[in-house]
Amino acid sequence: MGLSPANTATETLKFCIFDLRRGQHEGEELDKILFFYPADMPFSAQLSVIGLSEGLITFTRIFSPEAACEVIEAEMHSHVFYEAEPDIWMVLIVEKSKETDAIWRIDALRGILKEVHSLFMMFHGSIRALLDKEPSGGIVRKHLYSFVMDYLDDFLIGKKIQLPNFRNTLKERGTVQMLTVSREAAMEVQSLVRLLESCLGSASCHSLILFQDLLVSTTLSPDDTVNLYTYALLRLSPAFSSGSSTWSYLRKGKATSHTTGAVSMLANAGSGLDQSHGSRDSHPTGDSNHDITRPLQPNKWARGKDGFLVTDIRGSYVNNMVHTTPAIWLQQTEEKMYILAYQHKSLTVILLIPLMFIMDGEQGISMVKQQVLENASAKIFKVEEKLSKGWAGENAYHVSGYRYLLVDGDRSTSRASPPGKVTTLTKESLVAASRLREEVDLEKGRTKWDNPDLEKELEICIRAKNNAWVIARVTRGKELYMVLEKANETLLYASDAVEKFSNKYCNGAFSLE
Amino acid sequence: MSGEGSSSQPNGGFRGSGSMSHVYIQHPPLRCRVPGSRGLFYDDGNKLMISPTSDQVFSWKTSTTFPEVIPESDSITEGPVLLVRYALDMKLLAIQRSNHEVQFWIKETGYTFKQRCKSESETILGFFWTDCPTCDVVFVKTSGLDFFSYDSEMKSLHLVETKKLNVSWYIYTHESRLVLLASGLQCKSFTGYQLSSVGIIRLPKFEMAMATSEDSNKPVLAAEDVQVITVYGRIYCLQVDRVAMLLHSYRFYRDAVVQQGSLPVYTSKIAASVVDNVLLVHQVDAKVVILYDLFSDSRAPISAPLPLLFRGVYSPNMSSSHSSSNYTETSEEKDAIDTEAIIYGDDWTFLVPDLICDVANGFLWKIQLDLEAISASSSEVPFVLEFLQRRKLEAKKAKELCVGIARNIILERRPLYMVTRSIDVLVTSYSYAIKTGSSLKDVKPEKPSSSGVTSVNSSNTVADESTSRGNASGKFLKHGPASEVGDDTVSNHSYSTLDSDDNSFSDRQKKNPANHVSSKVNIDTENLTKVEASNEEVHPSASQTQIIRHSNYSSNVNNSELHNSLVNSAAITSDEMYSFVFAPVEEEMAGDSFYLASVIVEFLRSSNIEKVRVHPSIYVLTIRLLAQTERFPELGLFVTNKIIEPSKEVAFQLLESGAQHCLTRKLGLDMLRQLSLHHDYVSLLLQNGYYLEALRYTRKNKVNTVRPSLFLEAAYASNDSQQLAAVLRFFSDFFPGFKNTPDHNSYCSVLAGMGSSVAA
Repeated sequence: MGLSPANTATETLKFCIFDLRRGQHEGEELDKILFFYPADMPFSAQLSVIGLSEGLITFTRIFSPEAACEVIEAEMHSHVFYEAEPDIWMVLIVEKSKETDAIWRIDALRGILKEVHSLFMMFHGSIRALLDKEPSGGIVRKHLYSFVMDYLDDFLIGKKIQLPNFRNTLKERGTVQMLTVSREAAMEVQSLVRLLESCLGSASCHSLILFQDLLVSTTLSPDDTVNLYTYALLRLSPAFSSGSSTWSYLRKGKATSHTTGAVSMLANAGSGLDQSHGSRDSHPTGDSNHDITRPLQPNKWARGKDGFLVTDIRGSYVNNMVHTTPAIWLQQTEEKMYILAYQHKSLTVILLIPLMFIMDGEQGISMVKQQVLENASAKIFKVEEKLSKGWAGENAYHVSGYRYLLVDGDRSTSRASPPGKVTTLTKESLVAASRLREEVDLEKGRTKWDNPDLEKELEICIRAKNNAWVIARVTRGKELYMVLEKANETLLYASDAVEKFSNKYCNGAFSLE
Repeated sequence: MSGEGSSSQPNGGFRGSGSMSHVYIQHPPLRCRVPGSRGLFYDDGNKLMISPTSDQVFSWKTSTTFPEVIPESDSITEGPVLLVRYALDMKLLAIQRSNHEVQFWIKETGYTFKQRCKSESETILGFFWTDCPTCDVVFVKTSGLDFFSYDSEMKSLHLVETKKLNVSWYIYTHESRLVLLASGLQCKSFTGYQLSSVGIIRLPKFEMAMATSEDSNKPVLAAEDVQVITVYGRIYCLQVDRVAMLLHSYRFYRDAVVQQGSLPVYTSKIAASVVDNVLLVHQVDAKVVILYDLFSDSRAPISAPLPLLFRGVYSPNMSSSHSSSNYTETSEEKDAIDTEAIIYGDDWTFLVPDLICDVANGFLWKIQLDLEAISASSSEVPFVLEFLQRRKLEAKKAKELCVGIARNIILERRPLYMVTRSIDVLVTSYSYAIKTGSSLKDVKPEKPSSSGVTSVNSSNTVADESTSRGNASGKFLKHGPASEVGDDTVSNHSYSTLDSDDNSFSDRQKKNPANHVSSKVNIDTENLTKVEASNEEVHPSASQTQIIRHSNYSSNVNNSELHNSLVNSAAITSDEMYSFVFAPVEEEMAGDSFYLASVIVEFLRSSNIEKVRVHPSIYVLTIRLLAQTERFPELGLFVTNKIIEPSKEVAFQLLESGAQHCLTRKLGLDMLRQLSLHHDYVSLLLQNGYYLEALRYTRKNKVNTVRPSLFLEAAYASNDSQQLAAVLRFFSDFFPGFKNTPDHNSYCSVLAGMGSSVAA
């Protein structure tokens, strides 16, 4: 499939990244374009899309210099804007088709843009920095191309990119799902965290521990945690037992291909968009991909014999089986860290070690691995066992009668009804919930501009057409969304239901009434 | 006694400068010398040194501080003295006059009577007093044992029971209440009786191991080669096998005697002492002593063999000032010259459990452990801590050392796993002390009363436990239900020592540290000490002084009554961990709070496993440390996962540390709400400008301690007349009497002003 003209014709989605500081002279307009999907769209068409976007941005900046337009709703399309870095814009254009599923929440779409950019930054640093380093933009384009294409690959269903729609309304991109652990287990985990750091021998090392696809512990800031967690779920989780990704927001239909990853990591079993990279030598922007790191290329991580995951995302020496340890940038400290991942059964331990700290490259890394294996593996086993014992399974966080989403914006965490349970909701309820969230998004946005210091409290209860209660409650940094089908018809009942839920599962955070 | 030891620091004056030792004897000794002395006897039942002269018997209490002991004397009649022992109530004095006769004095009246053997063919080997309920005094004869009870009205002995058997020699210690009778050609067949307060228990007959020498001469076991020791409430018998050069040990259970393994010996003359449950094997000819801690099954010595040293300042003035002039006529100069030369001299006799008597000079020394030196000699910190935690005699010293060690390993940034193990040791020990301490607390207030009453509480539990364990092991002897209550009340020490079950104490403790059963032995040892203590009510006994000393200590350390139950243990409470380990370390480690935080995490983990309550100040410290290093994400996890238990102190620390970090501040706020600290919560909401939320919360939780004016001020500050009006209305409606307050009036006018300005 890939980028055949036929594909372009049917493609309803456009995605571009451009730099407003470039190509300001006539004849150099192409220079602006850093990424465009579909890539084989004629340049004239690409330029017209970008030209329109640029025009809108310039125009809206007249009224709101700080924040230019966020979204344009045209008759046939929605244009979602995101200024990823100063003057570097990402625009996503989705078609409003008659298809029933084409109902989106703008903020959710913008979440995709944010996510891909954050992940890109994590591996490559900022786009601006890359452009500064190499003003011709060739390398940035190569990086962006392979990265974004690898990312979009996950949304591919059949031959079509399917963006998350209203059915995903009880999920929140860019948040972390936490495992709830007992006090005792939490202490064991913290004890492990300390032990790991003492193994690594430096306080500036970091660790992230996941159980299945839930976060157990982190020493990173919320933003970095989200990025690394997202990446772990996207690409490191293959080694987990199959199909356990109930909590993850791994894209529908892709989970199965991930599960094969562990065994066939080097077989490049990727499908879909990924295959297009095979023919990328002929692509105008790239002549050789040998020096390109493709951290999002599927199935590139595998569990080595010692329990550490190995990868060849750097793309080089594939045939020689030489694995280099990838490194990432931390957003908060702007430090570059080696990333090591160790898996034992359902437990993934991700270690970050500053590049500065390892003097002799791979040799130093293997010393560190040795240290960890010697000192911490017993503890890791113990923690895994403890967590497994306490793990109530996929539906651990299901609350019967409720379909909910709980978001803690401060900590970038969320918890939701298990996807399997959400699918029992009718389309009406989900669409209503999606609309409600849209409303809340708007309201939140407004408050943020009006009074950034004061967090607003908000409560909305809607009786949907199908008589379901759709409820949103926002209180100082926390959001609760709820769909109650088959509920009693009084508002009092709905309100009580929220109250009960809040008292039982949220420490009463939402029960201020 | 031990008070002396703990106060004397090693720098207090070494006699042999520069030499190392783990064990020392403190100068000055107790001088048991009177003119015309006819030898020295040790009465272990009353812990007395006894020296008879032709017409008097002088006795020194060995359980008090040595130099100050003034001997007491009783008049006796002229005659040979083979053995002297006071009755356990000190009312009678018994002297063995010959192989066939023992003479008794009633101290009060001076009345005497004699007890003779029935037949001339048998010889009295010795005798001892007992607190066994059925008899008062036991004669050991070549033909067996005679048990007599003393009839105070008839003023005579009355034969209760006789056990017929051939006896070559015997050993008895009051500590164990155990008499071992040797018989056979090699004297290696033993019959034992324990004269416990429950009655006379016959032990199964057993043989001691004796290697035959190359010339196949069968060696004969001598009385001085066998010794009964009591360690951790367990009774062992040590036997020197001169041919094999081994010290065999046997442990006595109620229904079995089990060989426990052997320790190597290096000289032909061996003596054993027990100081604070540590076994000291004196290699007399080599003049060194090797220490063993039999608590665990390990037979490895605690440390390398080192000499026994004198300690203490050798100033003649000092000794004379202490000694009572009458009886210590021995010249000080002579002491000073002699003592060092005679260390492990031929005149030394080792008395049970921890005394050394220099018979020639009439000196009595008490052996003491130098805990500091022992702890300094090993780099295995967890091991050292375990050892120190088990010390009871110098619990204060041990505790201080433990605290010091804990501080040092943190300051030295030892590897985390090692610190973890060390902390585990301390926490486990504390948790264990709490569990056993609770039963001790019951006992203590009744201490001065008689032993039978004293032990009611704990012995009942003991009886229950024994029976339950007996059921499990199937070996335990069950008693008839009728006798159970009465007997068990006083049975504690016999049960404790003669374990019916093969698991060693340590095994059980390891397997199930939370189990009360494991505490049994210790409880009972306490009672045992108390039995002895109550026998000498007039004089503070060893255990009593000890307890008093430690309660002083602990009240110095911390005024909380809570921990007084732990006075005779080296266990470190969680408060003390904070104030003596973590807090001082925090000051010194200002730069590396991260490491300290890791250590505290281990402490918390360990405490949680042992179910020990953690002092809130440790949580507060944890928050401070994490906040200092800006580890806010982790701090969040600590709080949400309740690793840090919610409390008001913790909440306020979160608010303080969160001054620069909004999320942490929120955690503190949420904690206040969850703790239902309404007033503080509402005040903070107001401070942050959330007056509407505060109002709602006030109404819901009926908080009426926050002044309305605070809400009104906050609403006024928002510059929104509608909201101010709403707040005003709220108070007018829900606060009775608010309308009459000046607040109401002033804000009404303010509101009016605002309204007009809006209108304008």
